[in-house]
Amino acid sequence: MRTVAAVLLAGTMLAGVALPGARAADAAPGPTLVFTAIPDGDETRLVERFGKVAAYLQARLGVPVRYVPVKSYPAAVTSFVNGGVQLAWFGGVTGVQARAKVPGSRAIAQGAEDTAFRSLMIANRGTGLEPAPDLQPAIAGRTFTFGARTSTSGRVMPEYELRKAFGGRAPEQVFARVGFSGDHSRTIQLVQSGAYDLGVVDPSVWDLDRKAGRVDPSKVSVIWRSPPFPDYQWTMRGDVDATFGPGFTRKVADTLVGIDDPAILAPFGRSRFVPADNAEYAPVEVVAKAAGLLD
Amino acid sequence: MTGLDRAVRRIGFTGVSLAILALGIAAAAVGDFAVTASHPGPELLRMLHGLLTPDLRAVNLWALVDTLAFAVLGVGLGCASGFVLALGFPHLAAIRALCAGLRSVHELFWALLLMQVLGLGPATGVLAIALPYAGIFAKVFAEMIEEADRPALRVLPPGTGAVSAFFYAGLPDLIDQFGHYTLYRLECGLRSTLVLGFIGLPTVGFELDAAFKAGAFPQAAALLFSFYALVASRHVWARPWTVPFLVVGAALVLPAGLPGGDAWQNLVRFATRDVVPAPLRGADLLSGAPWAAAFGWLGDILRHQVLPGALATLVLSQVALCTMAALALALFPLVSRRFAGPVGRPLGRALLVVVRSTPDYLLAYVLLQALGPSMLPAVIALALHNGAVLAYLLGRQADALAYRADAPRGANLYFYETLPRLYGQFLAYALYRWDVILRESAIFGILGVATLGFYVDGAIAELRLDVAAVLVLATAALSLGVDALSRALRRALRVEPGARRRGGATSPPHLELASGRQGMTYDGT
Amino acid sequence: MTGTAIRIDAAEIGYPGRTVLRDLALTIAPGERVAVMGRSGSGKTTLLDLVYARAAGRAALVPQQAALVRRLSVFHNVHMARLDRHSTLFNLKTLVRPGRREVAAVRAVLDEVGLAPEIFRPAGDLSGGQQQRVSVARALHDGRPILVGDEPVSALDPVQGSAVLARLAARHETLVLALHDPALALAHATRVLVLDRGRIVLDAPARSLAPADVAAAYGAAEPGASGHDPRP
Repeated sequence: MRTVAAVLLAGTMLAGVALPGARAADAAPGPTLVFTAIPDGDETRLVERFGKVAAYLQARLGVPVRYVPVKSYPAAVTSFVNGGVQLAWFGGVTGVQARAKVPGSRAIAQGAEDTAFRSLMIANRGTGLEPAPDLQPAIAGRTFTFGARTSTSGRVMPEYELRKAFGGRAPEQVFARVGFSGDHSRTIQLVQSGAYDLGVVDPSVWDLDRKAGRVDPSKVSVIWRSPPFPDYQWTMRGDVDATFGPGFTRKVADTLVGIDDPAILAPFGRSRFVPADNAEYAPVEVVAKAAGLLD
Repeated sequence: MTGLDRAVRRIGFTGVSLAILALGIAAAAVGDFAVTASHPGPELLRMLHGLLTPDLRAVNLWALVDTLAFAVLGVGLGCASGFVLALGFPHLAAIRALCAGLRSVHELFWALLLMQVLGLGPATGVLAIALPYAGIFAKVFAEMIEEADRPALRVLPPGTGAVSAFFYAGLPDLIDQFGHYTLYRLECGLRSTLVLGFIGLPTVGFELDAAFKAGAFPQAAALLFSFYALVASRHVWARPWTVPFLVVGAALVLPAGLPGGDAWQNLVRFATRDVVPAPLRGADLLSGAPWAAAFGWLGDILRHQVLPGALATLVLSQVALCTMAALALALFPLVSRRFAGPVGRPLGRALLVVVRSTPDYLLAYVLLQALGPSMLPAVIALALHNGAVLAYLLGRQADALAYRADAPRGANLYFYETLPRLYGQFLAYALYRWDVILRESAIFGILGVATLGFYVDGAIAELRLDVAAVLVLATAALSLGVDALSRALRRALRVEPGARRRGGATSPPHLELASGRQGMTYDGT
Repeated sequence: MTGTAIRIDAAEIGYPGRTVLRDLALTIAPGERVAVMGRSGSGKTTLLDLVYARAAGRAALVPQQAALVRRLSVFHNVHMARLDRHSTLFNLKTLVRPGRREVAAVRAVLDEVGLAPEIFRPAGDLSGGQQQRVSVARALHDGRPILVGDEPVSALDPVQGSAVLARLAARHETLVLALHDPALALAHATRVLVLDRGRIVLDAPARSLAPADVAAAYGAAEPGASGHDPRP
């Protein structure tokens, strides 16, 4: 018993000595650009996707760049607001939330697909629902799940459309049961497994999960596409130039727009990045305010 | 003697049990306990298959080390500050109120609030454990000090300072009890730390969450087993002489996590802006209008969030309490020598220890995925985890009973000898568990059940920390209310710890626990 | 060192719902050595508690159970008698690391009861008789003029018991001791009190009594109730 304890302890001590060194490896001289992203899908994919972006940015910008994963949409916004990260990959609504809290912060780039994004409503095959151009009355009374509460394509925009289609009634009044799955990959899994009849998801996550073989077309299918709206974007804090030098924000924006490596773009489900600005997200802001998500 | 005491004494154990059961049945009638998943079978089978084919490559040793580090530092800090608070506990009402407040807020809520100021850094993880644990430690240590028989205090020369007296004549005889209790708390701390991973701290829970979300059950199983191994081996690595190494090692390895930015600036913003009720923010506080608006704001929250959330929380916790009690009564023979025999007992014990080591949050999370969103997964999770804790404790008590030589066997023994004699203790333990269940019920809202945590989660998603603060306070008040009711019932039934001196039935579970043998668990999560 | 007398004058003494002592009028003068005797339950311990309380800080106590802190060493258990004479800081330091002077003083006292070799053993490891002697050593180390002892030598053989009582008599001016052995009582006390059901049934100078008188006074109430063989 004592020997086992001693061995375990030695291991712990060794870890104590070795680990700070190992973990301090990224503490290169000068400030580190830290960024995060809303966790909208499968985590392994997020780590792969943003790991590549971090490496790319570090090589092009000449400063250390680090990606830190978070578990929820509000955690991403909070770390941006708190100044823990300087850059973030936000959805439409989370971007508006974050920029409202951090004066001077700017949307600097978005995916080409994000200028006209559409939510997908998916249904379990067992419901017998067929695709339709409009929200069909037959969806009422089913069980239904959103993604994250502040997801643009997984909640805010589809809820807006649902309210329009069902005479201003809240989703809770339209459906038998309304849930928040937390992210798009999970929404797909829950609808596929039958835990919910219906759900709304982000088309890029839907495509990526399909390509990864995680969608069983015999169990789940798309039954509706929403009208277009602006969605994801890279947002930078306003105090970054003071830390990294004048023109840094410009340089990051240009670097992001300049990405043409398919190995980086493919895990995003984006063909390329294009410049963005805060004003483009005014429609999302209006809807979010109407939904009571923003003051 | 209060009116409650009189009423409770008139109806007795049976009456109180029936009243709680009736409330539980009423709650079950109004609550939503449907299996909403259309095909729960295949999903459960996939999980089970994953459990049987763990993918050991998924085990991340650093995540285990981090889990241990957070737990050691969180519980250590909570223990140290709880000890200091315990000294003032009997003398200062302010300290008692502070401790009640600290422990009435669940560590997940603490973490969500601390994140707003400290980011996802190590301080958030350590403090989220340390703050509520300090409140629990203070109360339990104070009870231990009060309960302790300290004859040496009498012979100290008059005029001995209180501090000298405590360190010479009090503490030395209590130190073993404190040690046992702290060790047990460390096990709870490991579970709490695991759960904190689900909201983003870099513990095993972080990876478990990812694996479950991705439906990677073999990986999830391996991660879970590595966590069980960590918990099960605690008697090996947590010893008096390893403590300094553990603490220093933990401080060294604690991961940097997500930097929080300027903590001071964030704290100022949090305190002067974020948690100030929206209508009062930047308003002229000398005029009446903002106050009227704030009043309306509060009324709105109470009506639309606190009230439905609190009702759902009470409904869930009541059903869970009854189910837990039934399960504990059914399961304790598994770990009792008289019933399970020398072969069955170790097996039963192993089963209960595994179930007990699985945090109920994790159980609910998994079951929710399989059964669909309703209160059912939450009830199963709460009943299983807490029922295992209770059954384990009752099994030990059952073995300590002195049976007559010609005692009957089987069901006759159970109903004529064992149950009647254990019932007082059983009731006391179940009531002790009540506010723990309530806090967990509130937390399950984060998973989607519409309890108070659901509304807290929503307020945080909308960055409305003022609303979140009101909701957390409401949850704390509810927890304190249930705690007070539980205490009053135990006192009226004379199953309170103090009753022991008056020739009553039982000592509180944490004293049971501290009385020696390993593997005990009770008070708290 | 002459103190004032201890006076007790009370009609009824006891706990809520239970009277232990009745019609008590007692004065103990400085320099007296009082042996309190009586069968168990006769009120001896209550009377001693009362005397200890009235002595108001002038008395050291040897309680019935040795009242040791089992986890602490013999040294610390004895040193406890002088906690009031040092600062809190010094006491805490002594708890961790005893000073040479304190160790020497405690060793000298332990020598008197034959326990010097055990000075750094945990008190909980000692036998019952040894624990009782530690308790006595603590009172000796305290050195207050009055000693109140509740069966302080019950776990010792008559020879050891006699030696310990002699030490106590040498150190303390006034002794008030509950004893159950009439021979020991008559050998070491100047005055004998016998209690029966809460009343004093005998109060006489020791030299006027023979062992048989004492035995008669409380042996009559219940022969052999003391559990110890009262010699004829």
